Amino acid sequence: MSRRSQHIQQRLQQQVEPNISCREGHDSIILEGIVDNWAQVVRAGKLAAHEGYKGVVNRLAIEGLTLPPPRSPKLKDTALDGLHVDVLIVGGGVTGCAIARELTRKSISVLLVEKEDDLATHASSRNNGMIHPGIEPHPGTSKAYFNVHGNAMYDTVAAELGIPFTRCGSLILYQERWERFLGPLFMARARQNGVPGVRLINKNEALSLEPHLTREFSAALHMPSTGIISPYLLTVAYAENAVQNGARVSLETMVVDMKVREGRITAVGTNRGTLFPRVIVNAAGCYADAVADMAGDQFFTIHPRKGEIIILDRKKGHLISHVVAKPRLLQVKSDTKGGGVNRTIDGNILVGPNAVEQPFREDYSTDRDHIKLMLQRYLPLVPELSPADLITYFAGTRPATYEEDFVIERSQYVRNLVHAAGIQSPGLASAPAIAEEVARLTVGALGEVARVGDNPTFDGHRQGIPEPERMTWEERDALIHRRPDYGIIVCRCEGISKGQVVDALNSPISVTSIDAVKRRVRAGMGRCQGAFCTPQVLRIIGEQNGEQLAAITKKGGDSFILATETKTVQRAS
Amino acid sequence: MRELTCIVCPNGCSLQVNQDVGPWSITGNLCPRGIEFALKELTNPTRTVCSTARTSFAAARRLPVRTRGEVPLVRVRSVMSEISRLVVDREVRMGDTLIENVAGTGIAVIATADLADLIEGEDCDGRPIRSSD
Amino acid sequence: MTVRNVDIAVLGAGPAGMAAALAAAGGGADTVLIERENHLGGILKQCVHDGFGLLRFGEKLSGPEYAGRFVHMVREAGLAVLTSTFVAAARHDSEESVLMLVDRSGVTELHAKAVVLATGCRERSARQVMIQGTRPAGVMTAGAAQYYVNVLGYLPTTRCVILGSGDIGLIMARRLTLEGAEVLGVFEAKSTPSGLSRNVAQCLDDFGIQLHLSRTVTRIFGDDRVEAVETAAVDEKMRPIAGTEERLTCDGVILSVGLIPENEVGEALGVPMDPVTKGPVMDQNGQTQVSGVFVCGNAAHVNDLVDYVTESGERAGAAAAAFVAGRRTHRLLPLMADSTVLLYAVPQFVDMDAPESGAVVYFRSGEELGVTVVEVTAGGETVARHRYQHLRPPEMERLEIDLNRIPVSAGSLNIGVESAAAAEMTS
Repeated sequence: MSRRSQHIQQRLQQQVEPNISCREGHDSIILEGIVDNWAQVVRAGKLAAHEGYKGVVNRLAIEGLTLPPPRSPKLKDTALDGLHVDVLIVGGGVTGCAIARELTRKSISVLLVEKEDDLATHASSRNNGMIHPGIEPHPGTSKAYFNVHGNAMYDTVAAELGIPFTRCGSLILYQERWERFLGPLFMARARQNGVPGVRLINKNEALSLEPHLTREFSAALHMPSTGIISPYLLTVAYAENAVQNGARVSLETMVVDMKVREGRITAVGTNRGTLFPRVIVNAAGCYADAVADMAGDQFFTIHPRKGEIIILDRKKGHLISHVVAKPRLLQVKSDTKGGGVNRTIDGNILVGPNAVEQPFREDYSTDRDHIKLMLQRYLPLVPELSPADLITYFAGTRPATYEEDFVIERSQYVRNLVHAAGIQSPGLASAPAIAEEVARLTVGALGEVARVGDNPTFDGHRQGIPEPERMTWEERDALIHRRPDYGIIVCRCEGISKGQVVDALNSPISVTSIDAVKRRVRAGMGRCQGAFCTPQVLRIIGEQNGEQLAAITKKGGDSFILATETKTVQRAS
Repeated sequence: MRELTCIVCPNGCSLQVNQDVGPWSITGNLCPRGIEFALKELTNPTRTVCSTARTSFAAARRLPVRTRGEVPLVRVRSVMSEISRLVVDREVRMGDTLIENVAGTGIAVIATADLADLIEGEDCDGRPIRSSD
Repeated sequence: MTVRNVDIAVLGAGPAGMAAALAAAGGGADTVLIERENHLGGILKQCVHDGFGLLRFGEKLSGPEYAGRFVHMVREAGLAVLTSTFVAAARHDSEESVLMLVDRSGVTELHAKAVVLATGCRERSARQVMIQGTRPAGVMTAGAAQYYVNVLGYLPTTRCVILGSGDIGLIMARRLTLEGAEVLGVFEAKSTPSGLSRNVAQCLDDFGIQLHLSRTVTRIFGDDRVEAVETAAVDEKMRPIAGTEERLTCDGVILSVGLIPENEVGEALGVPMDPVTKGPVMDQNGQTQVSGVFVCGNAAHVNDLVDYVTESGERAGAAAAAFVAGRRTHRLLPLMADSTVLLYAVPQFVDMDAPESGAVVYFRSGEELGVTVVEVTAGGETVARHRYQHLRPPEMERLEIDLNRIPVSAGSLNIGVESAAAAEMTS
């Protein structure tokens, strides 16, 4: 045992729990033992990080706690059995889908597998849609680099993919005297990271940008490059464009094991058969460490940090346009972003997020006290907002590593594995830049075993589902003349037409669930939360897909909306 | 002494019925219908059964129906069973009789909507409705 | 894109809108009735239970029957009706309202001299009552469950709990039971039921379904589909009490936790809202504070009897026709409800210059009261009073006042409970 690991072990034994032991594996430090609670697990992981190792593999277990297995698809078949592909991407979040699209610039075969019934069902849909300016990450980190570069690419990406995007800018409001010291700190950080246009502005200027803000602040930091986008629409758009350029997406497909021989992955087992990819990209989000482990290359550990976000009615959307946040000391340390309020690309106001360390990677339950606390803390930023504007709230988990940085690299020990892991906030902002880099690394790995040429027919432009709400009345009228379904409104709160639902069902990556439709066209996202439109969408799915109503699900699996037809069972009288 | 909630009208009067000695005394009612209700409730409680019936029309899978009058409470399940077996295959109108004497109660089951109204015109697809068979 | 002009646009063809359109057309105005669904009748189409129309028709009708009678009247009157037509945007100019209508033929810009809002209400959702836990399938509002069962002909659950004791929840407890589902109980955080007592009797008691008062659903379990719920007793501030939790296995949670008037079009027209009723501030004929914009039915405030909804529609429709026929003066007196006893009273203003001298005041008490005398006073004089056997928050009460009895000097109207001594003397 090296002196370095011995030293860490001593610290962990003194500060966390006496039975923790440490050892080295590859270039990482591995923590083992049994502790009492999750806080100890996280504390140990954090203490072991940044001590000169490549990463922390935290195998500490908690007395009496068995973590649940990943949510797995019900489906079992051999549809993909024996398939040879150049690149297999594991994970259909924004990172995986952006990589897939980037790889289709080359003339190679690309398969993306996602275990859920749709794309963007985890962290990629469970965030506030903010394209961060890049001021939070530490200078010199992967996060800082990809965030700033990714942010700058968004105008082009959104235009090519046909999805709405706005550079709304963001404001951090300073109230207390101590907070004002953070201003110069952030200015220096902005310079180091290369964030454009950042300025400290006085109260009057901030109020001229956002007239409905609280008066309870003295100055603000203005970051004009901050943007806002629909994170699920972006993910879907990336994937659809990839498919249009020849990639294949297989939903309800989960990687369960890998065969590794002489430093190469030779076969990948899934619930739909065994695959033989030349290169594997690990974009598995909160399970990226598990996928790395299957390949015998785990050098990092994901600790899922939950965040909760509250959605307010679109009626109040006119009150702000910028992302408005309160500063937090932690922000300087780059652990997490400070919460606040922001307006989504669709006009809702979001409140949050918070950040809670907890052991469950796919537990999206919410907590009453957390929700109340956020309402208390952030609603006063815009005094005209009230708790009565609340429509709903949700939770997501950030796939954080103990180093709190992205892991974007070719594996050192497995020659045909590329990691895109630990992509927590600002992962959405970074996605376009990460995709470029991962594609470069992947093509490099592939080039060692095959010839890689450019895809001569690549077309980066995608036509999205028409959004009547963003059209002029004349355009909308013309659209309805061409497609009368666009004149039949099924979701009254969001004004979504039958035509949009039909187009979502017939989109390049076919989907069949209520939530998948909702992610694409927002039917059910409004103030009634689907009470009126779910039955209508259900009927349209049934009619379009020729499916029995009782077979239609909310989100795949066994999430059936209806139980049984009435009056079909004869009761004894 | 028994407490009843009158279900005749939305007032929902709380009725007190004293059956201990002599003739029953009923108090708490705002109108004479309360007395009638209480007497029936304690001897032979009855209810109107409202439900739906299957139809053979794809665009209107169910037709709202009800019993024309009240049936004994104890017969409600039997009435439901008989309604469950019913399939409406013609364009009945509101008030039309669907079952003459449901579950032997002597009471009819009637349509409470014009079937044509449910299927006439166009469905959510914007196409004219056709019968499913 | 087509442009069309009318005197009056009535938005929503439920009971309020149909009554308003009939009254407006009866008053000689060129009227169009606009409905977003493809059939007239509004939510009554799915309310197959009976109990409607006792005041109006002296009969206990089912929802479709009550609606059907008005549908027939609308047809006989030859009213202009636009179904499957959605108001996608609205604005109010000084002389008219402009509505952007979308239907399958395209976009129509409709200019209306007057608008009657009869847009009804929607149900509060799970998160709005702070239920925590996961988001599986099987959590739905009572109205959605009612649509599934009564219109689509499907049971959305086989074994469920009902949260909230609103009338639709109680009605659905019976309806689901009759169709073969198991209802494990109705949970109400308040200490008294929210629905009418006759619904507690005929929907729950008849079927042995338990009503648990001061108890709520605190958590939902299940990943794909609801697998269980946690219920807990709550204290008087409706906070869950630790140690009282109980887990129930079920595959559905049905919510009947309150209704909210839908006034998105009204808001777009600039109509000021009352934070208590969540409907527009209005006078006795539904005239809002935007000239020529009227409101009726559940969009104005949530009613419990359709008969009153119809009544308010008729008043608003007639008033809209009078408005279109010619300008007249208004003299508004505020109606102030004693908030220590009453939850609310509407209208918020009484127009003393209204052509009809009769005005109707609706109110709800804030708590359960026994024998109570409610009076309306103005300028120190009692202009209306009525003695009630009991007052309960779920039951909306109706009181008629005669404008001729209001002293000219009166600056406001006040509605409240007569002092105990005075009540004693007169009883």
